[in-house]
Amino acid sequence: MVVRQYNEELQYLEKISPTCWKIKKGFQPNMNVEGVFYVNERLEKLMFDELRNACRPGMVGGFLPGVKQIANVAALPGIVGRSVGLPDVHSGYGFAIGNMAAFDMNDPKSVVSPGGVGFDINCGVRLLRTNLYEKDVLPVKEQLSQSLFDHIPVGVGSKGIIPMNAKDMEEALEMGMDWSLREGYVWAEDKEHCEEYGRMLNADPTKVSMRAKKRGLPQLGTLGAGNHYAEIQVVDEIYDKWAASKMGIEQTGQVCVMIHSGSRGFGHQVATDALVAMEKAMKRDNIETNDRQLACARINSVEGQDYLKGMAAAANFAWVNRSSMTFLTRQAFAKQFKTTPDDLDMHVIYDVSHNIAKVEEHIVDGKQKTLLVHRKGSTRAFPPHHPLIPVDYQLTGQPVLIGGTMGTCSYVLTGTEQGMRETFGSTCHGAGRALSRAKSRRNLDYKDVLDALEKMGISIRVASPKLVMEEAPESYKNVTDVVNTCHAAGISKKAIKLRPIAVIKG
Amino acid sequence: MEEEAVYVIVGGGIGGVSCAEALSIITPDESVILVTASPTVKAVTNVVPLTKMAAKFDVEERSVQEMSGSIPSLKVIEDRIVRLDPERCSVHTESGKIVRYKKLCLATGASPRLIGGACTFVIGIRDTDSVENFRKRIEQSRRVMVVGNGGIATEIVHEVRGVDIVWAIKDNHISATFIDPGAAQFFQSALKKEGATEEKTYVKRLRYKTTGDSGSGGGAALGPDWHSKVNLHGPLEDSGITVEYCCEVLEIRETPGKEWPVEVELTNKKVYGVDFIISATGVVPNVEIPGAKFEKMDDGGIKVDWKLETSIGGIFAAGDACSAGWDLAAHWFQMRLWTQARHMGAYVARAMFHTLHGEELYQDFAFEMFTHVTKFFGMKVVLLGLFNGQRLDNDYELMVRVTRGVEYVKLVIKDGRLQGAVLIGETDLEEMCENLILNQLDLTDFGEDLLNPDIDIEDYFD
Repeated sequence: MVVRQYNEELQYLEKISPTCWKIKKGFQPNMNVEGVFYVNERLEKLMFDELRNACRPGMVGGFLPGVKQIANVAALPGIVGRSVGLPDVHSGYGFAIGNMAAFDMNDPKSVVSPGGVGFDINCGVRLLRTNLYEKDVLPVKEQLSQSLFDHIPVGVGSKGIIPMNAKDMEEALEMGMDWSLREGYVWAEDKEHCEEYGRMLNADPTKVSMRAKKRGLPQLGTLGAGNHYAEIQVVDEIYDKWAASKMGIEQTGQVCVMIHSGSRGFGHQVATDALVAMEKAMKRDNIETNDRQLACARINSVEGQDYLKGMAAAANFAWVNRSSMTFLTRQAFAKQFKTTPDDLDMHVIYDVSHNIAKVEEHIVDGKQKTLLVHRKGSTRAFPPHHPLIPVDYQLTGQPVLIGGTMGTCSYVLTGTEQGMRETFGSTCHGAGRALSRAKSRRNLDYKDVLDALEKMGISIRVASPKLVMEEAPESYKNVTDVVNTCHAAGISKKAIKLRPIAVIKG
Repeated sequence: MEEEAVYVIVGGGIGGVSCAEALSIITPDESVILVTASPTVKAVTNVVPLTKMAAKFDVEERSVQEMSGSIPSLKVIEDRIVRLDPERCSVHTESGKIVRYKKLCLATGASPRLIGGACTFVIGIRDTDSVENFRKRIEQSRRVMVVGNGGIATEIVHEVRGVDIVWAIKDNHISATFIDPGAAQFFQSALKKEGATEEKTYVKRLRYKTTGDSGSGGGAALGPDWHSKVNLHGPLEDSGITVEYCCEVLEIRETPGKEWPVEVELTNKKVYGVDFIISATGVVPNVEIPGAKFEKMDDGGIKVDWKLETSIGGIFAAGDACSAGWDLAAHWFQMRLWTQARHMGAYVARAMFHTLHGEELYQDFAFEMFTHVTKFFGMKVVLLGLFNGQRLDNDYELMVRVTRGVEYVKLVIKDGRLQGAVLIGETDLEEMCENLILNQLDLTDFGEDLLNPDIDIEDYFD
């Protein structure tokens, strides 16, 4: 990282609209394009505080502020347009979470970077609607939550709801939601409402290590932990009545289910394997980056292609996971309300990916180009009439599902033309946070413990705060600020707000 | 009388029951017989996954009838195995039954290794019967000695009230089986039981109920939180704990007629008179079954390969009875814990099924990294990978963060890569640490910023 005074750094940043800042070339070395980030007033303060903090003497640590990470991505070979930071941007491995960047497929120097996709490949969100209302669900929400992911239903058998053995795994990796459909766990129309119809065709399970496959298989037949969860939500507010009705949402109080899940450990292993392979390829192909974490390979190299095929397999796997959770959700509701998922109108409104790289057509400087679009902590948001969005949403634009963190509210937005032009049809994905601002204060106290450990004769390093932060303990980029910024900037449009009434951990 | 099933499981502990449950999911149409010596079996419930690999769970006792009723393809036989006949693929029971199998799983568990031979003043705590015995004796005791430094010893010391405790450990810090001296120091205030005599949880304590007298030994092992169902309270108003470090028991002498019924002499020359002694010094695998000569490992367990198959074809073993005889993954090692019994039980079901039907089997990923979730002194403890630098020959560094009474985070790092972690308290770092251990990402650049208290990095590596 270039070390400059904070006020010198500011010379490289320019406010170009009430919600958008430009990062000029020179902010970080070798920038091929400019960077840009979207903020409202509150997010702007967090963004700049983070930078100011990093400029203090002695702060050259392992974590770069988001704005520096956006600029480092702008220095990657083959990048076109701008390196875009969405309002929820925050530091991540290599690319910031909430950063999107597009690379020209026809430029032989263009790269693909696993850090630009993230480790939890195709981590995403799916929204199911119901024709139930809050009053129907409130009295039984405990039972519903209980039964949802309690057990893999007995009788599902070895052809499990989730791939449980080697053969199922291979097939699921190759087929994505077509596997779930073949096994009878989803409805044919579910696919229509998924990006890529729930299957990336270039997936190649043979490009994936055995360790990845083993790591993806569930240990004991559970659907997983961590970011795998579902929320029963109710419609809290409708901003765009027409778009909402196209999604089958008629009024406030209507019950939906939002499913969050990704590719489990599988994606992590695919990304890890690729990083190792790419570090070697970078030496061979003389690719230099500003940050070691930005390991990458030429798109057309063996390493680049292998990664994209493995990533596609991971994406397929994530769709299978979300489909399995969809199945369980439908079963649980049908059982609770003694009817069928059909009669409960439990259709998939949409399914979005937050961590993925895809080949798309975009207009750059007036010319149509084929690009590899990296979205990390960012959601595709295609405008009305785009050929890749389903018939049902041709007039509204693609539904964009924004999950808050567990237990906070969520939103449905729609894609816009302006977003297509400014951010390659991308928008935010959820909440975020500022670096150097932990949720809770930690009062460190080591002495006794260190005395005890030192007797072991092992070298010890201790974590310590670098400096006392000034006021404003608020570190959180709250989902409402994030969504409002996207709406104000015009890169997507608010349609529905949802509020959770129950959280179900997988 | 003859019985027959595709799969026969011996043992009603966590390993055996997890195996039966997994079989019912994998292959609900194939018959399973579980032979258990005890009228109750152990089942895992309330599983809360903390990461993709680590989970905390409770263990519940179920009657044999309840267990049979819950799985249609399962038959539970309450009986003791007296002989194995691998030639004829059958096991013989005490009551004269012959049970034939296509695949057999031995989940016969382990017994506490008791110090002091047959001395009646020494008890082991391993199964529910011994807990009941323990409870009765603690009610009438003023001073007891706890010998051992593992999980059960730690729990007893934490849970027992109203009795003076002498805790004799061979290490220089408490709970050495699981935690390092730093974490032990972190727990020191808890050990003094400062102001913690009456926590809310004790009010809710359920009285333990036994389901009749089940006779001598052989029952299934305890589950985590076994003590939450038992009132472990002695008569004293004011009691304390004395820890004797770096020592072992030299001699136990019964002293009838004296103030204390039994005297213990430690290797540090100290002599304590106590009401009784609790031996919690580890376990010995139960593997003596006539009729089969299994290859064994140094710790006495039945040697199993990566499929958990023993040296005799068609016979598998899981849980405490077996010893891992395959090339271990870099971040996994065997410890006889409920966590591993559960992993092995579920996996051996798949291994038997796949072997029988000639399908390809992947080794379960649970054997790639050690995980264990437990509770010490009322705090959540998550252990991941080489959490105490096991196998690293002291060639590693530690990174720690401590907030007194709140959290203790210790990362074991070698060559810039995370090898293991001890996470005590609500740290929210489990998932990140799991991924960093499995991914072996180079963390050199982050330095101690990795644990910078001002930075929340749970999702940095997503």
